[in-house]
Amino acid sequence: MFSTFEYDDDGFRTCGVTDLRIHRSAERMVKLFGVTAIVALAVGGVFALFVALTRWEAVDLLGAADFYQYLSVHAWYLLIFWMVFMEIAILYVGGPFVLGRKLALEPLAKIGYALMGIGALVITYGIWEASGQALDMQAPLLTAYVPLESPPSFYAGVVVFLLGAVVAALPFFATIWREKRENPDRTLPLVAFGAFATSIVALEALVGGLITFVPTFFWRIDWIPHLDAAWYRQMYWIIGHGSQQINLLAMITVWYFLTHVLGGAEVASQKVSRVAFVLYLFFINMGAAHHLMSDPGVGLGWRLWNTSYAAYGAVVASMIHAFAIPAGLESGRRRKGQGGGLFGWLWSAPWKDPGFSATILSIVLFGFLGGITGVMMGQMQLNMTWHNTFAVPGHFHGTVATGTTLAFMGLGYYVLKLVFGRNWVGGILATVQPYLYAGTMGIAVLMMMYLGVLFGVPRRHASVMDIPGAAFSFSPAKPFFAVFGIAAVLAIVGGALFVLIAVGSLLFGDEFEGQLDIDDRAVVADGGDAAPVHEHSMRGTFVLTLVFLATFVVLWALNWFLLAQVWQVGP
Amino acid sequence: MSEDSPLDSPEGNWWDRQVNRRETIWLGLSGAWALTLFGWMLGWSEFGNQNQVGETYKVPPEEFQGKVATFKQNAGSRTVDGEEVLVPAGEDVYVGALRWTWDGLPVVLEAGETYAFHLGAYDVQHGFSVRNEDNLSQQISLQMLPGYEWVLDMSFDDPGTYHVVCNEFCGNGHRTMHSKFFVR
Repeated sequence: MFSTFEYDDDGFRTCGVTDLRIHRSAERMVKLFGVTAIVALAVGGVFALFVALTRWEAVDLLGAADFYQYLSVHAWYLLIFWMVFMEIAILYVGGPFVLGRKLALEPLAKIGYALMGIGALVITYGIWEASGQALDMQAPLLTAYVPLESPPSFYAGVVVFLLGAVVAALPFFATIWREKRENPDRTLPLVAFGAFATSIVALEALVGGLITFVPTFFWRIDWIPHLDAAWYRQMYWIIGHGSQQINLLAMITVWYFLTHVLGGAEVASQKVSRVAFVLYLFFINMGAAHHLMSDPGVGLGWRLWNTSYAAYGAVVASMIHAFAIPAGLESGRRRKGQGGGLFGWLWSAPWKDPGFSATILSIVLFGFLGGITGVMMGQMQLNMTWHNTFAVPGHFHGTVATGTTLAFMGLGYYVLKLVFGRNWVGGILATVQPYLYAGTMGIAVLMMMYLGVLFGVPRRHASVMDIPGAAFSFSPAKPFFAVFGIAAVLAIVGGALFVLIAVGSLLFGDEFEGQLDIDDRAVVADGGDAAPVHEHSMRGTFVLTLVFLATFVVLWALNWFLLAQVWQVGP
Repeated sequence: MSEDSPLDSPEGNWWDRQVNRRETIWLGLSGAWALTLFGWMLGWSEFGNQNQVGETYKVPPEEFQGKVATFKQNAGSRTVDGEEVLVPAGEDVYVGALRWTWDGLPVVLEAGETYAFHLGAYDVQHGFSVRNEDNLSQQISLQMLPGYEWVLDMSFDDPGTYHVVCNEFCGNGHRTMHSKFFVR
């Protein structure tokens, strides 16, 4: 499909850029899942336009019923379909590609794909049926909180989709299994190790989702008379947040992969980076408990426990990667003579390469916008001022839209080049695209957080300047909404540009000859300084991470200051 | 490619290989920061004034609705800003959320008094999102679940109008769900 590469008699070829031995079976599936993911991105992006132009009430595009329906499509296509299809592709890159193996059990990948596709279409149909006219036909949004009833087809679609994703993950596990059977003493490369950690977190989330949504479907078709609202919330978030942890781990794996391939990064410490992945395995799914911080169903001890050992185990892991990845880039480039002074390794980097710039922007914005705010709302008491405000979508647009989506766009550029064998169309537009998208989405995210925390603007409202039947409105927030609206529209343009470049390159791109034409000598340099990577200076990274920590502390203190202004709550 | 590539298997005893000093320092900083975050949260639950902590009771929605009705019967009434509002008989305030209105509100409360808010929902999940009209960033949100009665103490120092909107999606009329209470 669309490919320009040829395989040897065993079905393998060697990538001229990464030196990876790639088998046809894995490459076929990476293309299939990758292209489907980009289709989902395009659909979700179109719906994003309607959502943003409704929340920006100067335009006020949709009425309430349409808004909830469009918001549901936007959420499912971008938070779930774009992400999960892409993540299956990443598993097949991180496993078979990196290990130089065939994709084991390829038919299962196709079955999984078919189930995921059918599930996605049935979910879409379910949302389309959710007219909102009858009380039991409400839009599901992402959460479908029981006992609010959405069309039965929606729940059925979710079950099929989750099942499909589990099936699609199995060929990855089988590939790792075969590798370890044949080479029991060989350590997995770091990228394969990251993909393996991703797959475990994914399986926990997906199985948790099935345990939640199968009974919920039975409840909706009246086989089960009653589901407890608190039970559903606790169970739902295993998949609800767990799915976003898959994004996190997949994204970090992509960061290690792309900073190496495009920037010449090396692994600063195998031990430290691997320990960080293992910390995720133990802690991050428990971290989903932060969704219940302002809930009646769970006690103080439960909440403090889950926001302490669980959340901070994962926070420490993220902070480790936040150092290890730029440090790998810094020391790797220094070793190859590409970094003088404090930040020479950054100034000399290939900033015109959209794959590289998207990766670095993703790292920076994920940390500052998504990561810090996630910790804020994960503090039990601070959660009261964040819970269900517009700041919550602000947070997860910081993680998913500026973080994961940007990283996956960066990967997408190189899937086009190295897997499909196509050069990018659009010339300078490809260079501009990551900056346009990251900059404008970053502003939109900041506005959402201001609106949520400083004005208490609720999420999931079609209008807050005009609350029917009430004299009260959030009108002081209007100027922030204007900035938000303009930034959001530009971000959608930036996202659309990526889709256009991707589709254009697939259809009209020149054949990629197998050599990178970027002028980054750190990537092509052989050998370099013989001293091992950990002996090269990481002082630039250290300064950057100290800036990050200082920002973290300041924002944390501001949030507590704001909370202290609130009236007395609790004993 | 070098053995420090993330795409190659590391050779030899990579576990015992040295870690850069600055990376080690960063690990220490990260651990210390995580402990600080936790310690502060724990301390605030002991010494802070804002803790969403209170008893929760499993109560069928119909029964909770009965409690709210009793609360309204026992309450007095008073005119505030030309509106007839409830005056709680004691220190208990009952708020029932249902599609798409608030039962038990509006009420008028006395500044400085501590009230026990009983929060619950009759049909689906709702959100108790409260803000001071004069200072919108003075705001909190709490989850309301059908089948649960959550009793939370609250005490207001600043007189004024406090607006309540639902911020858990509860169906098509979600955004119309607004009420208020007064602090005098």
